[in-house]
Amino acid sequence: MFLMRFTERAYVDYSEEDVRQSFRSAVRLTFPNSHFNPTLGADLYNTYLDEYEYAEAVGFDGLMLNEHHNTPTCMGAAMNLEAAILARTTKRAKIVLLGNPLPIFDNPLRLAEELAEIDMISRGRLVSGFVRGTGIESWATNTNPVYNRERFEEAHDLIIKTWTTPGPWRWEGKHYQFRVVNPFERPLQQPHPPIWIPGIGSPETLIWCAHHHYPYIYLETDPQVTLDLTAIYTEAAKQVGYEPGPQNFGYLVRVHVQDTDEKAYDVGKGFLIGNAGVGRVPLPGDFMAPPGYNSREGAKHIVDQYRRYSLRPDPLYGGVDSAGWEKVVESNRVIVGNPDTVVRKLREVLSVVRPGILGVWTNDGTIGHEDTMRCLALMEHDVLPAVREMGKELGLPGPFEHTP
Amino acid sequence: MAGHEEQYIEVGGARIHYLKGGRGKPLVMLHGVEGNLGWRQYHEQLAEHFTVYAPTCPGFGQSERPPWLETFTDLARFSLWLLDGLGLTQVTLAGHFIGGWLAAEMAAMSPSTLERLILIDAAGIQPRDGEIADIFLHGQEGTRQLAYFDPQQVSEYAELFQRKPSKEERAIQTRNQETAVRYCWKPYMFSPSLPGLLGRVTIPTLIIWGQEDQIVPLECSALYQQALSNARVEIIPQCGNCPPLEKPTEFVQLVRNFLT
Repeated sequence: MFLMRFTERAYVDYSEEDVRQSFRSAVRLTFPNSHFNPTLGADLYNTYLDEYEYAEAVGFDGLMLNEHHNTPTCMGAAMNLEAAILARTTKRAKIVLLGNPLPIFDNPLRLAEELAEIDMISRGRLVSGFVRGTGIESWATNTNPVYNRERFEEAHDLIIKTWTTPGPWRWEGKHYQFRVVNPFERPLQQPHPPIWIPGIGSPETLIWCAHHHYPYIYLETDPQVTLDLTAIYTEAAKQVGYEPGPQNFGYLVRVHVQDTDEKAYDVGKGFLIGNAGVGRVPLPGDFMAPPGYNSREGAKHIVDQYRRYSLRPDPLYGGVDSAGWEKVVESNRVIVGNPDTVVRKLREVLSVVRPGILGVWTNDGTIGHEDTMRCLALMEHDVLPAVREMGKELGLPGPFEHTP
Repeated sequence: MAGHEEQYIEVGGARIHYLKGGRGKPLVMLHGVEGNLGWRQYHEQLAEHFTVYAPTCPGFGQSERPPWLETFTDLARFSLWLLDGLGLTQVTLAGHFIGGWLAAEMAAMSPSTLERLILIDAAGIQPRDGEIADIFLHGQEGTRQLAYFDPQQVSEYAELFQRKPSKEERAIQTRNQETAVRYCWKPYMFSPSLPGLLGRVTIPTLIIWGQEDQIVPLECSALYQQALSNARVEIIPQCGNCPPLEKPTEFVQLVRNFLT
């Protein structure tokens, strides 16, 4: 079992009314950046980096970062910068980037160079995840969403070839053209850093991952739906001649520990203010998925799977949380409690989903630094060792124990 | 009633849908960003005087898009090919919004194909002062609110936009949006070279604009007139981006006056 810690690094110093007054009431994309206070931002970036360093100290195997644009819900607008800092200031944990949104990069070679530097500075600890990005990323970078998947796949192919094929050579693709592909600095890990792909269950991506032997990391998907999605991956893997195991799958879930169930329940409510924005004002669906961003088949599949959710969240802003705090806690979609409670609930989830990678989303929104540090401290002795043992007992090897 | 028929023609390996009706000299009407909305009142009125062709651009509605056709320039080249296929030469070409942009591109590419040109609240030229409203960012509903000065003036508004669409109609709307994004995302709704290229176009051109257009600024009508050597502008008061639907009588009268 590979255990990695995650937070979206939210900025929450604004009000629901502020969001409602923005164009189409969108906390992402059009929420005016005049609401951002760089002085507070400076404190937050440093605090979040401190927390990641502490996450390594308490025993996490990986430090998971992500990237979004034009949003206060995730301050990781240039995730590779945070990764580069952590590559230098930490010594053991993997730097897990889930992930760089490939379609928005007009120069994937620059990305290949950045990632190679991070891999070398960290002395081979980079896990290089790639994503298509949400629709917001297309809007924010003016990248035509119709070509999102094409650009994702072509940029991926170009980066992998850049890392694995001695240069110089030439690339004449549909979306990318380069005369002389020959970045001098190559990654430390050979043939290249591990590639993991996070997502919410686009069938095309699942099949693509299976064909590449890339672990797929489910981002808070409903456990039962996750099994259906795993079946898609498994079938695709079998078609290319292998049987995937837990090492091919990851699962991200919000987990907040405090000394008592009552305190964890109370503090954990801050999650609801976190990754989907203060007040949870629904995002326009076409901001998250602009025309052409998903194939029609993929879009139908995603909508159908959301319809099957027992909690019936509003898929337009991706939030299971619209079901209400009590229900999301009851259903283990957010796990809060004292260490014993959390370990018990994690067993329920892991027994069903059976991932070899567990993403532990410890805090967000209004969950402050002090509570976060206490949460991490409690995990060191009372949660992480138990989950590791649980992983062995349930037969859930991670991708560094068993090759995907 | 002039009546109309629905037909298909194969062009470049793609099956292209079009409506045709009326009698007289041919008049091709290119649709706006919402796709081919069918045979409307203005088509019917025009068909009393002209043979009206209302093709559905590739990728919209029931028209296939060849996989190699991905840019607005490709679309213009393809649409000239469509005119060839329909046997239309020395034709009057009219277009609304992105259809107007398309008509202007086609005129610049092959002016000898056309006899006259009609541009209606046409995208295609970058405004100097204002900007073309981002209809993608506004979304479908937001764009409709911008598109009309007063929806009450649009006698076909309820039929077109206020009834619940069928599953097939929703699929077509989705397809239309995707196609519009494919062709028009960046640069958004204009071609930097178009004003220069329009210097080649000397055929008589009528530029019709809704005075209250909130999508393509009124200044673009003057920019088109400056770029074309033989163009005149007609402004329709109390009208938004879509004169054919919002002011069909005035619109048809202007077209008739121009063509007869």
